[in-house]
Amino acid sequence: MFDIVWLVPLFPAIGFILNGLFGRALGKKAVSWIGPSAIGLAFLTSILIFFELLKKPPSERFFERIIFDWVVSGSFHTVIGYQIDPLSILMALVVTGVSFFIHIYSVGYMHEDPGYIRYFAYLNLFVFMMLNLVLANNFLLMFVGWEGVGLCSYLLIGFWFEKDSASNAGKKAFVVNRVGDFGFLLGMFLLFTSLGKHGIWTLDFTEVFANANKLDTVTVTAITILLFIGACGKSAQIPLYVWLPDAMEGPTPVSSLIHAATMVTAGVYMVARCNVLYSMAPLSMAIVAVIGVATAIFTASIGFCQNDIKKVLAYSTISQLGYMFLGVGVGAYSAGIFHLMTHAFFKGLLFLGAGSVMHALSGELDMRKMGALRKKIPITFWTFFIATLAIAGIPGLSGFFSKDEILWQAFSSPHGHFVLWLVAAVAAGMTAFYMFRAVFLTFFGESRVDPHVAHHIHESPRIMTIPLIILAILSVIGGYVGVPHVLGGANHIHEFLAPVVGGSEPGKSHAALSFVAQAWASGGENGGHSAALELLMMVISVVIALIGIGFAYLFYIKNPTLPKLLAERWKGLYRLVYNKYYVDEIYQVLFVNSLKKLGVGLWRGFDDFVIDGTVNGIAILIGWISSVMRRVQTGLVQNYAFSMIVGGLILLVYYLLRTIFY
Amino acid sequence: METIGTILQWLIFLGMAFTSILASVLLITRKNPIHSALFLILNFLCVAVIYLLLYSQFIAIIQVLVYAGAIVMLIVFVIMLLDLEEELRSRLKLFYSKVIGSVLAVLFLFGLIYGLVATSPTGKTGSYTAEKMSANVKAVGEALFNQYLFPFEVVSILLVVAIIGAVILSKRKLS
Amino acid sequence: MKLPEIDLYLIAPEIILTAFGFLVLLADVFSPRTEKKGYLGILSLIGIVVAFFYTLPLIGSGKSGFEGMFTADGFALFLKVTFLIIAFITILISMGYAEREGIAFGEYYALILFSTLGMSLMASGTHLITIFLGLETMSIAIYVLAGMLREDRRSVESAFKYFLLGAFATGFLLYGIALLYGATGSLQLKEIATYIASKNLLRNPMLMISLVFLTIGFGFKIASVPFHMWTPDVYEGAPTSITAFMATGVKAAGFAALIRVFFTALPQFRPDWTSIMWLISVATMTVGNIVAISQSNIKRMLAYSSIAHAGYILVAFVAGNDIGISGILFYLMAYAFMNLGAFTCVILLGKKGEENTLITDYSGIGFKYPLLAASMTVFLLSMAGIPPLGGFMAKVYVFSAAVKEKFYWLAILGVLNSAVSVYYYLRVTVLMYFREPQREITGLQFSPASVLALIIALIGTFYMGLFPANVLSFAQKSIVGLM
Repeated sequence: MFDIVWLVPLFPAIGFILNGLFGRALGKKAVSWIGPSAIGLAFLTSILIFFELLKKPPSERFFERIIFDWVVSGSFHTVIGYQIDPLSILMALVVTGVSFFIHIYSVGYMHEDPGYIRYFAYLNLFVFMMLNLVLANNFLLMFVGWEGVGLCSYLLIGFWFEKDSASNAGKKAFVVNRVGDFGFLLGMFLLFTSLGKHGIWTLDFTEVFANANKLDTVTVTAITILLFIGACGKSAQIPLYVWLPDAMEGPTPVSSLIHAATMVTAGVYMVARCNVLYSMAPLSMAIVAVIGVATAIFTASIGFCQNDIKKVLAYSTISQLGYMFLGVGVGAYSAGIFHLMTHAFFKGLLFLGAGSVMHALSGELDMRKMGALRKKIPITFWTFFIATLAIAGIPGLSGFFSKDEILWQAFSSPHGHFVLWLVAAVAAGMTAFYMFRAVFLTFFGESRVDPHVAHHIHESPRIMTIPLIILAILSVIGGYVGVPHVLGGANHIHEFLAPVVGGSEPGKSHAALSFVAQAWASGGENGGHSAALELLMMVISVVIALIGIGFAYLFYIKNPTLPKLLAERWKGLYRLVYNKYYVDEIYQVLFVNSLKKLGVGLWRGFDDFVIDGTVNGIAILIGWISSVMRRVQTGLVQNYAFSMIVGGLILLVYYLLRTIFY
Repeated sequence: METIGTILQWLIFLGMAFTSILASVLLITRKNPIHSALFLILNFLCVAVIYLLLYSQFIAIIQVLVYAGAIVMLIVFVIMLLDLEEELRSRLKLFYSKVIGSVLAVLFLFGLIYGLVATSPTGKTGSYTAEKMSANVKAVGEALFNQYLFPFEVVSILLVVAIIGAVILSKRKLS
Repeated sequence: MKLPEIDLYLIAPEIILTAFGFLVLLADVFSPRTEKKGYLGILSLIGIVVAFFYTLPLIGSGKSGFEGMFTADGFALFLKVTFLIIAFITILISMGYAEREGIAFGEYYALILFSTLGMSLMASGTHLITIFLGLETMSIAIYVLAGMLREDRRSVESAFKYFLLGAFATGFLLYGIALLYGATGSLQLKEIATYIASKNLLRNPMLMISLVFLTIGFGFKIASVPFHMWTPDVYEGAPTSITAFMATGVKAAGFAALIRVFFTALPQFRPDWTSIMWLISVATMTVGNIVAISQSNIKRMLAYSSIAHAGYILVAFVAGNDIGISGILFYLMAYAFMNLGAFTCVILLGKKGEENTLITDYSGIGFKYPLLAASMTVFLLSMAGIPPLGGFMAKVYVFSAAVKEKFYWLAILGVLNSAVSVYYYLRVTVLMYFREPQREITGLQFSPASVLALIIALIGTFYMGLFPANVLSFAQKSIVGLM
């Protein structure tokens, strides 16, 4: 059964080929079928594999399938191979599942777009690449997926490339990601060479992690930090988060799929995958946790003052990614992945909901021009609302369990700290505030909709609302796979992921991963803290969330003039936050402009003169030589024979001289 | 007796060798192609005699039959049919080519001569001694059908290919 | 009287090629004259496939036979597979092309089969007679094939030029063989090597001269500088399908014989030939690439490009290590796919009475014939050595072989040459996509066989670029025991 793992990426690949190469010939209708069904089949296959995996005892939940040798060069040998273990199959399920619904949604959402076929080709390609990323059994293939999703992201952000803002956003995403990828590559090289010093030339996950204990702490710290730089780029963390808000220029389902649910979580996945390495480098973990929590609160605060609904969601995504990094940074890898999963559900849903709102309002994004939509587009409203409840951490919904798990771990884990918890908890309250702000502004209050638009507000077609409903259901129930012990749950997901990321049953871990298990055996996730404390913390975080909601209610329902008053009162602060702390501008001055100046300088001084001069000179020279030599080609057989004789004579002289002078 | 025979052999060899060189030179310097062809025959005949001196009667006969007989005949035939003289006189002025060509050829020749003279003869003495060579045709036949059976068969294909090629290139256009 | 050893299984592929060659000839004779000759192509294709299936079981056996004249070792078999692929694609592209250009000879296909037979004899020969006969069988068939467009003066001229110069080169080759025989008393490659080693003939001038002559003879077939001058004229004049066959098959066979003779019979002369081959390699790459730049005819451009590729392959020849020789095998196969593909595109862009072989004819076809232009782009980029295509991996292996043997300058010059080559490959691409069409090219007909050839070539090019390990490990296993 596991043998069919290659089918999982194969289906999207086929979809991409069919849509990309023959899309025009097949027609729109066929593309609408091929695109989603390719993903659906991949999803089904993943489900089959998942259940097969469940049948096995936890210690045997590992399978590798080598497709073929890929790069063979001396002692270095890399294969294209896929690996099934709890972590990868969970990721594959999330990726294919969410993608499937978003593909279906896209059929409705993109229906009128002239680039429909191109859109589905890209989207299929993206899923293919993402599956390579999560199913790879070695760093190199993972990197291929990593770059591949980056490429798709770039293509899809700039999907409407005729708009300047879209193509600029694409470029920005590309450049910022390049910075991160550079770190990732360096990390990979460093890992490769430092293991190579011990005679182990490999990038295979199993082998790398089994031999990780041969590396010293400094090296591992360097490797993990470099890898994390890559994660920062891909998962939009401080200081490389700036591309994600701009990425909202892409079609909304793309924002939902790539820039919320799947691709941006690749960094979290990567850290969780490399947990063996991270666990060896406490400093790196601390950095991951601090960057995560800082990102969480920093971008949450930016979310306060955004008026563009997608921008709010974008900053919220960054903030939630910060949470995930906080989770993996304090060693709670399963909690991070758990949040990754629930976040995929509710954030995917939020974006799709936003898309549905835009659909209803003829593309309006500004929340100041919305309001009172809840009666007009009820399905969108209810699903959006459920997702908001989930992200705000209202007990009983998925977001509550996963976020709370992270908060608790931030406090209680051996790598955690009270301050981390506190900041994260405050950020949770802020999340609740800005999300409810968005809900209230969009769906409640008075209608501020443009009268031209107002009269044809309509609910989206069923092909769009059904994915919304399914994701809403998932947003509610998705958390019950990880109900913590303290609430009487079994925390299945934690147990499930334990063989890969360590956990309560170290003895049963896969042999290659026993190192993690040992690391964990000493610590233990719940060591030293009582259940009562855990419950208390939980209550506090819920209260904070409720306070956030309360403020939102006060500001935007009860007393809508209040925000303006406050903005007047603290004009400077408001402006600072409204302009996103001027980070873009600072980057502009610090990096972009100075680099540009350097670039222009080099261009004028060095490039134009030296390089171009040389290149053009060489080109002219070669062109000249070329035309001269062309004239030697007279077409006369005698001359050709002549050239052969001359050549032969030279050889003869050379060889005979050798016999004489040796 | 022995010495006289050896001296005679040497004399014949030298005579044939110089005649063949002379014939070659004349072959490439004559204006009239028919003359060239005749010198070619002379050259081939000389070489045939040298084969004989080496106890290779079979090859000597083949040399006469195939080269001197068939091939040169064909050449003469073609020359007569085409009547190249006119063209040769009017079109090609090859003076410089001739000069450069002969310089190169001479250089090449010196290289070769040096190489061959400087070499002490190292070749294996084969299993075909002078005595055995008295039954020359038999020896050749045995070699051809035993050791060289495979190449022998390949040659037949090679010849077929050549025939097909000749036929195609000279065949009249279909249609 | 002892009987010669005969092992017909060993030469089964050759027998089948011969048999089908004659079958095609007979079928041609016994069929109505006016009919189209496509079925002969299909018959030939069947022959190639059958030969292919008789080649595969031999892999790994490594047997030799016929008094040391013939071997079916890995090296020979890898090349035979390559030749059969080349012949297969060539016949596919010929089926439409021959009909279009009015090549109404059934012998056309038979000659391709015989020529392939010659190539495989060159690869399998372990005796200079076998190798020489293989070379002549191949060459004579090709001389005729080059002149098949009898209406076209350029074709006849090219056939004649090729024949004259080929005979000239053959003369050198034979002289070299004769001298080798004179110095060692044997023509069997291994025996030559043993004899040289046992008598310590390393400074023997006669052998040196023979080395020169062998270099000229084989250098002519692989089109290396300065024995390359015939290439552009012949490639331009010959029917395009045959040009493709020459550029890939003849070149591969030439390298097969060159490697076999030099590495099996004359390995002790490595230090002597290395520096000469170094020079020839650099000259071949450089001349090929530089002159290619100023070409205006695509067939001539590809001719120079093929010269340049011979130079790249010689880089690995100079390196002469395991990676190098297996890299050469890899290169020859990758080159076969991309070059046949490129020529297929050239054919497809022409029509009856209008060959469209000027490079400017390619202006703007990217919009009119997007798939054709895209395929052409793939092949050209592969030849330029752009990842992830076969040509890139081939160059990687070739240059890394040179680096491993510390021929840094050779590798650097190779890479620089590659960079130069990008210019003229990209020029065609740029014309196809960024220029307005200079004149209308309409009414092209894509015969299904050519399209199939194109698809095979595309798959091959991509496969060898994306999954090089399979072919490379096959190549590496193939050269075991060669050196």
